[in-house]
Amino acid sequence: MSHFLTPVFEPGFFESTTVHVAALVGAAVALVAAAVGLFTVMRGQSFAGEALGDIGTTGGSGAFLIGVGPLWGFVAISIVAAAAMEMIGIQRPRGRDLATGIVLGAALGLAALFLYLDATYRNTTGATVTILFGSIFTIAGSTTPVIIVLSATALAIVAALYRPLLLSSVSTDLAAARGISVRLVGALYLLALAISVALASMTIGTILSTALLVGPAATALRLTRRPGAAMLAAAGIGIGATWLGIVLAYDSYDWPPVGHGWPVSFFVVTIVFVLYLLSGLPELWRTRRRRRVDRAIAGEPQLAGDG
Amino acid sequence: MPVLALLDPRTTRRLLAVLAFRAALAALAALFAAGCAGSAFTGSSRGRILAVGAENEYANVISQIGGRYVQAVAVESNPNTDPHSFEASPSVAEEVSSARLVVQNGVGYDSFMNKIESASSSSSRRVIDVQTLLGLPDSTPNPHLWYKPTTMPVLAAALVADLSAIEPQHAAYFRANAQSFDRSLAPWYAAIKHFRDSYPGTPVATTEPVGDYMLEAAGTRNLTPFTLQADIMNGVDPAPQSVTLENSLFAGHRVKAFVYNEQVTDSLTASFLDQAKNYRVPVVGVYETMPTPGYSYQSWMLAEVQALERAVADRVSTEKL
Repeated sequence: MSHFLTPVFEPGFFESTTVHVAALVGAAVALVAAAVGLFTVMRGQSFAGEALGDIGTTGGSGAFLIGVGPLWGFVAISIVAAAAMEMIGIQRPRGRDLATGIVLGAALGLAALFLYLDATYRNTTGATVTILFGSIFTIAGSTTPVIIVLSATALAIVAALYRPLLLSSVSTDLAAARGISVRLVGALYLLALAISVALASMTIGTILSTALLVGPAATALRLTRRPGAAMLAAAGIGIGATWLGIVLAYDSYDWPPVGHGWPVSFFVVTIVFVLYLLSGLPELWRTRRRRRVDRAIAGEPQLAGDG
Repeated sequence: MPVLALLDPRTTRRLLAVLAFRAALAALAALFAAGCAGSAFTGSSRGRILAVGAENEYANVISQIGGRYVQAVAVESNPNTDPHSFEASPSVAEEVSSARLVVQNGVGYDSFMNKIESASSSSSRRVIDVQTLLGLPDSTPNPHLWYKPTTMPVLAAALVADLSAIEPQHAAYFRANAQSFDRSLAPWYAAIKHFRDSYPGTPVATTEPVGDYMLEAAGTRNLTPFTLQADIMNGVDPAPQSVTLENSLFAGHRVKAFVYNEQVTDSLTASFLDQAKNYRVPVVGVYETMPTPGYSYQSWMLAEVQALERAVADRVSTEKL
């Protein structure tokens, strides 16, 4: 079996501890991102997710500065930022983007300072690349249990809130009429969002984390409108993209510049993007056919080569 | 107080708050300035030739050659800075613009110096670029030229030429200093030769190419792929294949020493260090800039070779010099 798969899986792929850790962490993170991301897309809060990811840059660079792992910085800052957004008023559609934008700007200013201090006063090498684009192949073994526990926490929040969250995401008025505390549900969901963004920052970096959060969920919602099925599809897409990304990054060891390997985050984000584009094809085809039928009914002359 | 008495209490409180805030700002600024003072130039040189070494090992050699007629300042001497990602501050620009002589490494290692020099062009300033001096191409993969045993005697000769051109009346003095400097490198050369003869082809692992020229001179075989060393040096993530290989060097006891760059570190190099300690592979700490105080260029280089020999002969680690 290993013979005909050799062109796909380079020798040593399945034995590499680095790959084991990356595959495990990548799957856990993709699963959480899919579950949380579905609601992010339904609630139209992609920008909040993006902002939490970007703010992670501040946490990650601050963590390097005080000598702890970046994960702690990502988690701490995104929970604080999520709480700030909640307090400033993320529930009001009009104030939402403004509040998010203001918090984001201030935090990124701090990140600029921290990254500078990381480079000049602490001999941390590669902090910028690790924070911005993720380092799934250099995750310390001791960080893995923490990632698993955080993933389980975020999934538990989503599972416990599934029905009220779904209802309040579709219609806040309806949810409120049913006696659901929309604000509390929204706040707990923001907590799950903060955790999942922090986790995604570990695998593909702060500025790319939204791709894993929103991409698979948006793709899944194009394929099915049923929330349960969409969540499963999003998880499948997220985990598939992450694992394929890991395989391709491992293979890229032999691509130019030989012996270095391309970044995993590039592959993951590209695969997510391509899948999103492909998922739009059925809809595109349907609209074109509908238009053609409409025109035929209206008795318009068909242009040669059209359609 | 009399002025404050004229104001109503609310205004006074607000004024005091503003003043306290400004005082805090001023204190912060003073702290910051004190923190930077290590590299700040102290102004008067009392008739001595001002010279800047981009890295403190070069400044050290300048001061050994220039002696009492030269005041040498180092741009980079902070052991907690990775020089590869160093960005110069305005005070450095001031030092360089008033200097008569500048020594820099080249090979892209301290390209910030070129920017500063072109920003404050001066016809009377002499710049020695060690890469150019040694005739090395820009594509030279390993920029850590000061670990090359042949580098400093060439630099010493160039320094004599430039300093003598600036102050011809002291040419003999500079020449004499250069001669004694060259002689003082003998113990280091002898230690390298002794190691090469006693432990030929010793397999070693590294994180980063900083000490590679010396390891090469000592006849070691560096089993860490250069791609991994270059990735760590350049601050990008190495391929998992390289990481696996590096770990196998420790687990399989395939190396006699782990030469660890104390100044270019991240979680990955830390995990290699843990692996090395787990499998009892002796560690030798190496540096981008000269550890201070207590070292001169020669004694630093000698200490590195002695640490390597202790690691290989007695299996003793010297993590920090």
